Amino acid sequence: MTAALTPLNAPLIQPGYRLFDGPLHDVSDVTLGQIGVVGMPSDWTHSSRLGTRFGPAALRKATTIMQSIRPQDASFDPDTGLCSLPVANWLVDCGDAEVTAQDVNATTEAIAAMTEVLTVAGAIPLALGGDHYNSFPACLGYSRGLIKRKPATRFGYIQIDGHLDFSDRLGAWGSHNHATNARRISELPNVDISNMVWVGIAGWVDGGDLELIEKQGGRIFSASDVHKLGAAEVMRQALAHAMRGCDELYLSIDIDAMDAGYLPGTGSIVHSGITPRQYYDMLEALATAPLGGLDIVEVSPPLDPSERTEFLAAEMLFRILHRFRTRPVTAQ
Amino acid sequence: MPLRSDPLPRMAGHLSFMRAQSKEICQVRAGDLAVLGLPFEDTSAPYAGQSLAPRALRETSVYFGWHANPQFSHPVDIDARHEIRTDGLHERLCDLGDITKGHDEEIQTRVKTTTQQISQRGACALILGGGDHLAETVERALPNCQTTLLGGAPGKTQDFQIAPLCDDTTDIYELDTSARLIAFSKWRDKSKPLFVRFDLSVFKTSLSALCDQPRLGGCDLEIVTQWLATLGRHEVSAIMLTGLNPSRPGMGIVKVGQRLMVTALLAFIYARLGFTNVHPDCQTFKENVPK
Repeated sequence: MTAALTPLNAPLIQPGYRLFDGPLHDVSDVTLGQIGVVGMPSDWTHSSRLGTRFGPAALRKATTIMQSIRPQDASFDPDTGLCSLPVANWLVDCGDAEVTAQDVNATTEAIAAMTEVLTVAGAIPLALGGDHYNSFPACLGYSRGLIKRKPATRFGYIQIDGHLDFSDRLGAWGSHNHATNARRISELPNVDISNMVWVGIAGWVDGGDLELIEKQGGRIFSASDVHKLGAAEVMRQALAHAMRGCDELYLSIDIDAMDAGYLPGTGSIVHSGITPRQYYDMLEALATAPLGGLDIVEVSPPLDPSERTEFLAAEMLFRILHRFRTRPVTAQ
Repeated sequence: MPLRSDPLPRMAGHLSFMRAQSKEICQVRAGDLAVLGLPFEDTSAPYAGQSLAPRALRETSVYFGWHANPQFSHPVDIDARHEIRTDGLHERLCDLGDITKGHDEEIQTRVKTTTQQISQRGACALILGGGDHLAETVERALPNCQTTLLGGAPGKTQDFQIAPLCDDTTDIYELDTSARLIAFSKWRDKSKPLFVRFDLSVFKTSLSALCDQPRLGGCDLEIVTQWLATLGRHEVSAIMLTGLNPSRPGMGIVKVGQRLMVTALLAFIYARLGFTNVHPDCQTFKENVPK
């Protein structure tokens, strides 16, 4: 005789990964001050090495795994010498935007619609790429939302990147691709190029793009500047430049500014010499910046079988979001 | 191959080094940089796959083919703020293709003959290896040549070893580059051909990620670039790239090694062709063409 099976009534959880193991809700449910996560699993707008369509899923998995192995209660950070406690309800994962393959306009509007709703609600959109083009629709929605929420407000822009991405067009990909995102952002109505700053640019860049940026007051810090001045000082100067006359900051984190020897899993690798520690120091220098929106792009899991790229990128999110996910423990 | 008037995706079109025009040896002129592939490897090497390196290097080099893309203006080295005018590069850089397969002796004969012909025409051979076992064949093609090494196995006593140093106690990081440059100038005999061996192992392994001869005490990109720019200002008869193995686990995917080598090599190419930062005191490429 087979024994009767005992009914199992264990509590169920949502399948799949969410960023930082956060709850999954619609963008309309995100409230003031929360981080609202928008996945942008699209790499149709990259001109050569693909794979960033798997970036959002990889970041969700990596942040969840790293979260699970971190202290769940008060903890001491030996880097900063500070004690902190985790905060509840600081982040909501809104899932992925609807990507329409080979229809840039449809994908752009789908992403922008989500980040716009989040921005209007006073939440902070965090967009997960995807190739770097998707930074434009994420910022476009933020820009539209900011006009609705605070019509007179202008925002500053910092792009940590190995490349300028300031081309007007790129080969067969035309005007909307991973090399033109910063140019398209510069054309938004509530940002000025003189409030746009690039950090970590490495190697050879297009002379015409460089001249156009600097003539209009934009600021560029090369990877050499990071090495010579120090990561924290470069970012202090970058923030001061970007925030002149602005109330909020949009931050675009392209992981490829880190040297490819450490971080190979990205479409357009550079040899900047920037180490993980320097990259994290740059992000921590923005700890108190008035973040209005941000994105992290170019995580391409198929290009790094070791998977270390997605974990290095996940750590970037831990650093930049530190003040949202924890609160300090006051010494007794 | 004529210059395109329309942009071309990087992975499309005829593959040549930096989108250079294809030429036959008889078309090579004095002052040209002639690219030559050696898709062969030493069958006794610990890892198979170096024969795939010439193709991998060419694929990566296309990224730097600004001169063949009408949408780009001119490249600027953002770190040094050096502006390069690449007008004329298309006339000076050419790709001869690969040496054809055959028995070892046949290959060696073809390598030697081709290198000699390039040298005799007053051009510089930019050789994409392949295993380093053919380096000696190239050396023999250049009578009485002086050889300088960036990475790879230690050379002969008369060679100039830029890195690694034969003295194991010296830390590459602490090398006085200025003093080494002076030593190089003293060693260099301008009456003899100069052969440069550039192996991926010259880089510290944290940058190159994977190569057949990992070296923990290697150089960073800046030092290698500085040396290649210096060497490019000499009358180099041949420069040979070795040590890249695209088939090593992971290497074919991440492509870090080939990107590192081509990035550094660009300094040599620009210096060799006389493209320097736009400055009134600088030579133009036209002034730098050997007579």
